[in-house]
Amino acid sequence: MIESVPPLVICDAGPVIHLDELGCIDLLSSFSRVLIPVAVWQEVQRHRPKALALPCLERISATKPEPPELEAVAVALSLHTGEWEAIRVALENPASVLLTDDTAARLAAGNLGIRVHGTIGVLVRSVRQGLRTKIAILDILRSIPISSSLHLKRSLLDAVIKQVEEHQ
Amino acid sequence: MEKAVIQAQLPPELMARALSFVEEGWASNLDELLVESLRRFLESHSSRMTESFVMSDVQWGLTGND
Repeated sequence: MIESVPPLVICDAGPVIHLDELGCIDLLSSFSRVLIPVAVWQEVQRHRPKALALPCLERISATKPEPPELEAVAVALSLHTGEWEAIRVALENPASVLLTDDTAARLAAGNLGIRVHGTIGVLVRSVRQGLRTKIAILDILRSIPISSSLHLKRSLLDAVIKQVEEHQ
Repeated sequence: MEKAVIQAQLPPELMARALSFVEEGWASNLDELLVESLRRFLESHSSRMTESFVMSDVQWGLTGND
């Protein structure tokens, strides 16, 4: 399927916190809607309340009964309440993209057929969208170890930076 | 097998839940519970999987259509 409009995104706490730490919370405005499940909202409020000041963020609760397959995978992977609720809301919005930086949450969501991306994807996408220059994003990527609580292996971050540098 | 000894700080609520879990008989002791919890976390957050996810993010960021 070829996408032509920005997707609706459901956020887990990680990307909201990390994008704000990196001075890039505004990039969430480039999606058609940004839904923050209640449990995620509360988590961000505890750790990074100022990130929730972005006007486009919509607090939302899941409304449909929980699918049994979600409970099984969430329990098996010990997902946190916020991650669990974010996946549940994503299942209620089939065309959405889940934003999370947690590997287990990504694994769970992927197994349930949900499209998933994270902070790095949103940052790199901003160059393609013309919201940041490549130079600015490269600087932000390099600053991740000192400016954010996003934990990435150094060699992986170097590989990400190299790919962005080399992309025409 | 030689085992390492660690000292860790835990949130009181989490500690209370862990102790209650042990008292109910779901784990032999706190050590066993912590080892099992750590093992499960490391299994579900493997470095290889994380790298694969992040690199797919980069591809989406660079060449996606949205």
